Amino acid sequence: MNHAHADNERRELLEQIRAIEFMTIDLNLYLNTHPNDRRALNEYNYYTRQLQALRREYEMRYGPLTNFGYSLSQYPWAWINEPWPWEEDHYMEGC
Amino acid sequence: MWVYEKKLQYPVRIKNPNPKMAKYIITQYGGPDGELAASLRYLSQRYHMPIPEAKAVLNDIGTSLTKLLI
Repeated sequence: MNHAHADNERRELLEQIRAIEFMTIDLNLYLNTHPNDRRALNEYNYYTRQLQALRREYEMRYGPLTNFGYSLSQYPWAWINEPWPWEEDHYMEGC
Repeated sequence: MWVYEKKLQYPVRIKNPNPKMAKYIITQYGGPDGELAASLRYLSQRYHMPIPEAKAVLNDIGTSLTKLLI
């Protein structure tokens, strides 16, 4: 697999995570003031499950998204792997 | 408590660097009336909220604003 292709897949997966995270944040904020809205709550749980699955997939392929005990790491300790978000130029092409 | 996420909430590519605009944006972020100050105000105001809905709103807006910045 060439580099551009791998970066593309990584970017697409991150894009999906971002989109679903946006749904869960907004539904969360709405539910704070509408805690009895069953439809919104179902949607929140639906997208939360999707988000959990996508994050798991991302972390298995590209390393931990979080630290301090929220994500597992392979050997060697992968948290220090670059790029950091403020460095990632190569897979941000076109955004 | 915060957990750092090793990704951007919304990535942007700067095609035309513009120092004047950069200065303006950084002020909107970190300046006296910026997002960072606002988020910390929300987090202080949450302690004075009388009902669960309001506590949650201020807690969550305060935290999601900081996530946007860092």
